[in-house]
Amino acid sequence: MRGSRRTAASAWATLSRAADRFALPLAGAGTLAVLAAVFYYPVWTVFVEALGPENPVWAILTSEFYMGAAHGVFAHPLRVPGDVAAWLAEVHIVAGWTGLLPDLFVVHPGVRKGLFGFTAYQAALSTLASVALGLPGAYVLARFEFPGRRTLQSLTILPFVLPSIMVVVGFVATFGQFGTLNGVLSTLGLERVQFLYTLEVVVLAHAFYNAPLVTRMVATAWENVDASAVETARSLGASPLRAFRDVVAPQLVPALAASALLTFVFTFMSFPIVLALGGLQLATVEVWLYARIQQLDYATAAGLATLETVVSLALTYAYLRYEGSQSADGTANPLARHRLFDASGPREWLVRSGIGVYGVVVAAVFVAPLASMVLASVGGLEEPTLRWWRFLVDRQASGGRTQPATAVRYSLQFGVAALAVALPMGVVVGAFSARGGRGRKVVDAVLMAPIAVSGIVVGFGLLRSLVFGVEVGDYRVSLVGPVVVVMAHAVAGYPFVVRNVAPMLSAVDSRLVESARALGASRGRALWDVELPLVWPGVLAGAAFAFAISIGEFDSTVILAGDGVYTMPVALKRFLVDRTAGPSTGPAAAMGTVLLAVTAASFVVIDRVGGRYRP
Amino acid sequence: MRRRDYLRSVGVGAAGIAVAGCLQVEDTGDDSTATTTTDDATTTEGATTGGTTSGDAETLRVATYDSFFGEEGTAGRWLKAAWEAEHDSTVEFSAPSNGVNQFIERKREGVGIDADLFVGLNTGELVRVDEALGDDQRLFDELAGEVAASDRIKDDLRIDPQNRALPYDTGYISLVYDGTTVEDPETFEALTTDEYEGALLAQNAQTSDPGRAFLLWTVHEYGPDEYLDYWQRLVDNDVRVLDDWQPAYDAFLNGERPMVVSYSTDQVYYNDEDQLPRHQVGFLNDQGYANPEAVARFADSDEPELAAEFVEFALGDDAQRNIAVNNVQFPATTTAELPEEYAQYAHEPPESVTFTYDELAGNVGEWTEAWARQVATN
Repeated sequence: MRGSRRTAASAWATLSRAADRFALPLAGAGTLAVLAAVFYYPVWTVFVEALGPENPVWAILTSEFYMGAAHGVFAHPLRVPGDVAAWLAEVHIVAGWTGLLPDLFVVHPGVRKGLFGFTAYQAALSTLASVALGLPGAYVLARFEFPGRRTLQSLTILPFVLPSIMVVVGFVATFGQFGTLNGVLSTLGLERVQFLYTLEVVVLAHAFYNAPLVTRMVATAWENVDASAVETARSLGASPLRAFRDVVAPQLVPALAASALLTFVFTFMSFPIVLALGGLQLATVEVWLYARIQQLDYATAAGLATLETVVSLALTYAYLRYEGSQSADGTANPLARHRLFDASGPREWLVRSGIGVYGVVVAAVFVAPLASMVLASVGGLEEPTLRWWRFLVDRQASGGRTQPATAVRYSLQFGVAALAVALPMGVVVGAFSARGGRGRKVVDAVLMAPIAVSGIVVGFGLLRSLVFGVEVGDYRVSLVGPVVVVMAHAVAGYPFVVRNVAPMLSAVDSRLVESARALGASRGRALWDVELPLVWPGVLAGAAFAFAISIGEFDSTVILAGDGVYTMPVALKRFLVDRTAGPSTGPAAAMGTVLLAVTAASFVVIDRVGGRYRP
Repeated sequence: MRRRDYLRSVGVGAAGIAVAGCLQVEDTGDDSTATTTTDDATTTEGATTGGTTSGDAETLRVATYDSFFGEEGTAGRWLKAAWEAEHDSTVEFSAPSNGVNQFIERKREGVGIDADLFVGLNTGELVRVDEALGDDQRLFDELAGEVAASDRIKDDLRIDPQNRALPYDTGYISLVYDGTTVEDPETFEALTTDEYEGALLAQNAQTSDPGRAFLLWTVHEYGPDEYLDYWQRLVDNDVRVLDDWQPAYDAFLNGERPMVVSYSTDQVYYNDEDQLPRHQVGFLNDQGYANPEAVARFADSDEPELAAEFVEFALGDDAQRNIAVNNVQFPATTTAELPEEYAQYAHEPPESVTFTYDELAGNVGEWTEAWARQVATN
């Protein structure tokens, strides 16, 4: 008896040691297997078209329409110096006198940006706008205490999950000729302003989506700054500004750069929102890519997608090299927050009035579009009605094809399952990336590909490979259904976990990990016991993003799930085209409101529960 | 409120008179869906009614677009109920995410088609099918010979010289304008004048049905050599080309701009006294561009005869009336009549124009791309 018990105990110990040792490699292998099955292979089936005899990549590079003035570099490189010289010769600097002030301006002939040039240009502007709108938010959330702060922080990434069509509806209602903002302007006796169909409103809509990314990632990093380091700097005589510059800022910049990178990559591949708020005049590469796929011109589509991905991955790699060169110490001892509604002295009042102004901007850009969607679900202020909500109830009761409650249930199930897959994937890849040199950065960049490949291409690749299946002997094996949907969602979301976790992991003092290893801990055990607790805020932020990506995902869900499996955005889309209710966006707005409420509650739960179970 | 009640009463009223018993079949079918299949992800719409009919009933698999059959009150639901009441077979709808392209791709890759009929094909798409697959791979086969009712299809809607695609309804693309803000422009030329500067919302012809129809209408009017010049003048007059009908129409409803490219049936939804002035239908040069929707049978269908029978049924007068009303379109046959209340608000253009298959073949892709490049000069 005793002998067998001892054997069992030692077998258990051996088993758990083995689990310890192999957990990390197994998780790594699992990650690669999932990526290969629902991302790399499907996407490859599309990209391979770009290698065809027509050489579409070269055709694009040498086309003035796609590349603008830059096409000359590829089409006739020898003429470039001459062209540039000719252009420079046309540049005039005009100096004048306006009567009061000297006036100096440069006149130059126009440079055609081309589709790629314009796409990069609007993405750069959108990134600037997102940082400008998001950074003050990070400051307020990280440095001030006020009632509801934690909830507000959980809700920051809410805009992330909204289907673009609802954002468009919200923006038209807010920024349109007869929208809320122009209403306010005209009440103030000011003239109405044409916001829609301009580059500005497209950039603003991009900021609506992406500023929350900046806010959340930077705020998380800010909370991880070690208060004692700042105190030390201060006690050594550094001014608050100096302490910020030398101690705090270096720890924020990686998070800021990461969020700016993600914003650029996203807005570079932006599609529906550009056309709906800007029009075809402001077309981006993705617009063309979609149209080419529709026209079955796969070679050009693949060429465009390849170039898009090259741009995104090159930027990602550049960022990763930079991230690797940064190092700072993580902490469980964050800076103390100031109380927002408690100020003394003119300087503090100034800061708080600045925050007040920021609050007004946030209300206009974020709250107003969301509120106008909720308002649209009850028919607006003038003719309030509950009929769109009754529509949802009817759909539920009739047992028809699309039932709101079923959509909520699938959304939550997919979201939670995708989270459960994306978190370990992200942490493993983050740990792999955090330590190591140039070679690892290349691999890391390639592992970030799910954010750098056009969603249209991913969807099309999934259809061709997984849905159509592969011939095995006499059978065709196709891989579809809810499990595959979860995998696809996890793959789309895991890069966010990586980018939130990796910078913090690389900031963990490597001596801690080394001593754990020296004491006999496996790499996996050290990660779990030593590093994860230190970077938990990053894991939580990543979890929120992964969940949000799953909730908002549309394309691969429709392609991989059967007709009876639908999530909230899919239901919303179906209600939008449901003409039995007329051409109104009311039913979709009601479904959008449900989506908003369910997601908001989920975010709060993720943060609360996650905050409690810090390992 | 009124417009919906109105629509519902017309739709259900017509269905009620014609096939009083059908709705019940659908109801029981739906009940069984609710009780037995809510957890079963793979069961589709049509399969559930198997319980109410005999176990080995034939199944007709119809691929179409979402809004054709999604909910009660759609043309697809009516067809299914009416058909199943009279026949010992089941109709099963599906909506592939990228429409007919999915089947072109399946054919190319040698993957099974798994459907008998495709519903919702337009002329441009049929051209695309043929250009993508060539002569040796046939996605659809000849159908008109097996469907007697195809003789009654209006002449100007016959889109397929090979008699595969048979139109079952048509819409007319027109302008919808807010009569309290602008006058009826009446001509294409007027749209380029100062009076209509910054007034028009159109859609991307590369991806949107009404957008493509409007573009083709301008090609029809100005010819392949001149239409780009006309569009340059439209763009200079600040026309906006949005991605799809929905955002364009939503912006129109919000008063963002007073004119939108849409359908001539607009007033079916907006016929209140206070709404009518804001929803005027404008036929440019007294024309409307017909955009027929057709049904075609897959050459790989397992049930070719059943499919032909179903098309015959869909072209019958009863079905034609119900499809048109529920789809907010016009019948494709000469004999079908619309309920008066509906016809009063669904306007037909004095002259209907459209391009035939032969005119589009080899051209529509180039016309569209050249147009898009011209509009999107960055």
